[in-house]
Amino acid sequence: MAPVPDIVLALEGVSAGYGDVAVVHDFSAALARGSITTLIGGNGAGKSTLMRAIYGTCRCFAGHIRFDGTAIEAEPPWQRLARGVGLVPQGRCNFPRMSVLENLLMGCYTLPAARRAPAIDRVVGLFPLLAPRLKTTAGNLSGGEQQVLEMAMVLVTEPSLLLLDEPSLGLSPKTQAELFEVVRAIARTGVTILVVEQNVRGALLISDTAIVLDLGRKFLEGPARDVMVDPRIRQAYLGGTIGQQPAA
Amino acid sequence: MTIDPLYLVQLTLNGLVLGLLYALIAVGLSLIFGVLEIINFAHGEFLMLGAYAMTFMLPVVGLLYAPALLAAVLITALGGFLLFELFLSRLGQHDFERSILITIGLSIMLLHGTQYLVSATPRLVDTELGFDGVAIGDIRITWTRLIGGGLALAAFASLYGLLTRTPFGRAMRAIAQNREAALMVGIKPRTVARNAVVLSTALCGLAGAALAPIQLVQPIMGQFLIFKAFALVIIGGLGNLPGAIAAAVALGLFESWIGGFFEIIWQEAAVFLLMILVLLVRPNGLFGRAIVRAG
Ligand SMILES: Nc1ncnc2c1ncn2[C@@H]1O[C@H](COP(=O)(O)OP(=O)(O)O)[C@@H](O)[C@H]1O
Ligand SMILES: [Mg+2]
Repeated sequence: MAPVPDIVLALEGVSAGYGDVAVVHDFSAALARGSITTLIGGNGAGKSTLMRAIYGTCRCFAGHIRFDGTAIEAEPPWQRLARGVGLVPQGRCNFPRMSVLENLLMGCYTLPAARRAPAIDRVVGLFPLLAPRLKTTAGNLSGGEQQVLEMAMVLVTEPSLLLLDEPSLGLSPKTQAELFEVVRAIARTGVTILVVEQNVRGALLISDTAIVLDLGRKFLEGPARDVMVDPRIRQAYLGGTIGQQPAA
Repeated sequence: MTIDPLYLVQLTLNGLVLGLLYALIAVGLSLIFGVLEIINFAHGEFLMLGAYAMTFMLPVVGLLYAPALLAAVLITALGGFLLFELFLSRLGQHDFERSILITIGLSIMLLHGTQYLVSATPRLVDTELGFDGVAIGDIRITWTRLIGGGLALAAFASLYGLLTRTPFGRAMRAIAQNREAALMVGIKPRTVARNAVVLSTALCGLAGAALAPIQLVQPIMGQFLIFKAFALVIIGGLGNLPGAIAAAVALGLFESWIGGFFEIIWQEAAVFLLMILVLLVRPNGLFGRAIVRAG
């Protein structure tokens, strides 16, 4: 008998959006523990909306979101965070007038006081570039540093499911590579990761699975190495260099 | 015109106390704006509520200042709790227009309701302290003014500690700085918004209670102040708490000087003229816009 995969997150026919308007339609997927999944799709495809639906910061109209077997779609974000779901949203998401250390402390908001200092020490170890910056006001960091800070603010709670929405935006190629390395290292500790990336190639290289979203619906799903060579995907999302552009 | 220096010092002291009490109102307005992104136009009525609570509690507790003040603050905080639970909590994130209508409507209802219940006649409020005071040479300041100013200073110090040192206060600054990031770290926005409203209205109640023995108490007293407080919040830089405090103290001094040297009739017009001039010259306020900055 084949081993039953340990499913951390199961989405079953999820429709999600804002106000009365669904942006993501009838979406189903399952993420295995410790795996990295890349969510691919054009601008406005609904990637961020799907991430928010899993964390609970947009509306889920239909379907179930099961985390460790429990349906969580009706829970507010802080309850999902307490269960171990963490979302690093797209764009600037820190407290710009607080110091880096204060931001990390805010990350520990839901932790008991005794766990805060060790949690902060741990993430500073994970992202050494934060160490000399602890007293700096977050708004004065570079875009890349702020991105790293935001990841650290979520990682202090040791989520078992980490949702990363465009984590490498604004990072230099070198820091991007470092970030992907860190993501891989986090996954090796058993954390399940769902990532949306503008650097599709870089994300696919560290991912086990890829899901392609088109106009709010699942278009394709498969092992990352297969998706990477899929001609439709190459053409739409990986045609970054002229040599690979199909002849018009 | 020769200016008597003693008279000037006297006016300055009175203006300082008045300014500190204005600052309590402006700070609360600024805090609510930072956390809920709305202007509470009913804020002035909480000043009135605090003043009337003080007026009616004093005889109950044998004119004792401290217990009456404490009761007035608690009553106003309860009013703030109800304001949030019944009205403000129902507003969505982009309901700015609805928030204006709701808070202005509430303000008018509270004002006229109070006129109906207790009449519009201004009341003079007496406490155990009466009109006693301290005199340094020829300069004299009543205990009620001295205590009022001291209470305001203590309130600012506590507020600063609260906002910078406690999770309760940090969460308020966090929401004001980045709502999405606040959700990311697990803050419950509704709870924090309620705390901000209760805290702000309590500060306003403190101002009202402290003003009651200093000024005439009348239903309209909040209306006089709300537009001034609103202007102070903008002049101080929207959401900038120290800026609002500084602007309020400056206003108190300015008002006191104008009132002392010119006919009282000029006072209000001069105050608004000055505020309009400041805003024309510095559209973002004197101290720049900030997002609930504690220091
Ligand atoms: N806060 C919001 N309120 C209303 N509509 C939104 C909001 N955020 C995104 N949308 C809409 O949802 C659609 C999908 O957006 P999004 O999920 O951000 O796409 P992606 O992350 O794939 O670029 C877009 O049409 C966008 O206009
Ligand atoms: Mg997006």
